[in-house]
Amino acid sequence: MTLGPCALRVLDLHKAYRSRRVLRGVSFAVEPGTLVGIVGENGSGKSTLLRVLSGQLAADSGEVERRGTLGYCPQATVLNDALTVDQHLRWFRTAYRLDGTRRADELLDELRFAEYRHTRVEVLSGGTRQKLNLTLALMHDPDVLLLDEPYQGFDWETYLRFWDVAARLRDRGRCVLVVSHLAWDAGRLDVVHRLKDGVAAPWSAQERTGVPQGASR
Amino acid sequence: MRRAWEVFRTGAGFALLEHARNRLAIVLVVVYIPLWLTMEHWFVTPAPARFLLRATGRTVTVDGNHLTMVSGAVNTVTLIVGFMMFMTTFKALAFDSRLALAGYPRSCLLVGKVIAMTVASALVAGYATLIVCWYWDPVRPVLLALGLFTAAVSYGGIGILLGAFLRSDLAGLFVIIMTSLLDTMLQNPMSNTEADKQGLQFLPGYGPTQIGVAAGFTSTDASLGHLLLGPAWFLLMWALGTAAFFVRTRNHLRVPTPPPTASPV
Repeated sequence: MTLGPCALRVLDLHKAYRSRRVLRGVSFAVEPGTLVGIVGENGSGKSTLLRVLSGQLAADSGEVERRGTLGYCPQATVLNDALTVDQHLRWFRTAYRLDGTRRADELLDELRFAEYRHTRVEVLSGGTRQKLNLTLALMHDPDVLLLDEPYQGFDWETYLRFWDVAARLRDRGRCVLVVSHLAWDAGRLDVVHRLKDGVAAPWSAQERTGVPQGASR
Repeated sequence: MRRAWEVFRTGAGFALLEHARNRLAIVLVVVYIPLWLTMEHWFVTPAPARFLLRATGRTVTVDGNHLTMVSGAVNTVTLIVGFMMFMTTFKALAFDSRLALAGYPRSCLLVGKVIAMTVASALVAGYATLIVCWYWDPVRPVLLALGLFTAAVSYGGIGILLGAFLRSDLAGLFVIIMTSLLDTMLQNPMSNTEADKQGLQFLPGYGPTQIGVAAGFTSTDASLGHLLLGPAWFLLMWALGTAAFFVRTRNHLRVPTPPPTASPV
């Protein structure tokens, strides 16, 4: 399989948990500078797909090719309660081999939680924890971003700011793949793939508009 | 070299900070160790007890109260360090996996945790030795502290292994408490009249108890082999826990192709 201009290419991906076949031949490709949505009902395999794409989970068969660095934001916040926001940034700065935390500092301002920089994570609200969860995935400015419902717990203002951040990343040539609530987000996405019966199919604009709010997950 | 040092320092520093912020463990260290040893001092008979020091094959007759305090000190440090390492491994599993996915070297992450555990074990063992010395004068207090330290690290390893495999914090705490209680009870002739039986050498508390008794009551007995048994238990448990961590956090994808152009930052 050749990669061509795509930042991410998925070919015939299969994954089963014992007898339950979750992914049954998922294929799609994403070009740089694209904001892609993955939608589907509960248990349709969205999180499994993202875990396979990030390399955390082995697929039974199929291929994944990625061009460039990866940023992964898990659905549940994965943080260390004993550490402050700033200590998280310092630890991940070392992990990503960054010289500084300039991009993280920008995100702290953009998502409006810089005031909690020296606060321990265990006392942060759910929304602020999620902001840090997202920041840790974005702070190294990766080429390919896999975001699993990254706005859970956000208030409306922060939700809108998240989409501003995502759109700016897309405009700078990043490939952003978001597991998303279709009804709210469809208009903000360049491409939508619907995961159904273990297969991802492109979802057209007409289909998207016909779905009632919140019905997609 | 500078990068390696920064990675190592960051991991070890934050692992230590995590222990320092574990309030329950600190309360247990400060309150539980003196409480446990004080109760043993008050309530256990000082009647003579015979203990087989296997390093020399010699049976020594010692004060039963003091012997039980040595055994109790082994029990408390193993419970606390086992609990600390279980909780830190259990709670940080997803976070450590995320760090590994982000590119943090897994070996540095694990070595940092071992450094933090070693420091915590040394402090806890030193503190327990001070409490023992408050009530009576062991013949070789430094060796007693060393014996308690080896007990702490052996159960630290057991805590890491349980944290890597068990899926419930309650199950982990139960296993650590029951193992430590059973282990120390079987090694102590005050609670087990058959404590000199063959087979007890294969329990993790054996080496530290032998060292503790030799340090408390004799000026010559004790062997390097017994001193190394605790660390050997740690290495075995840690190796298994580490192998599980490496297997779970391995990247299932091929190395990604670099992006077509340099990324703007």
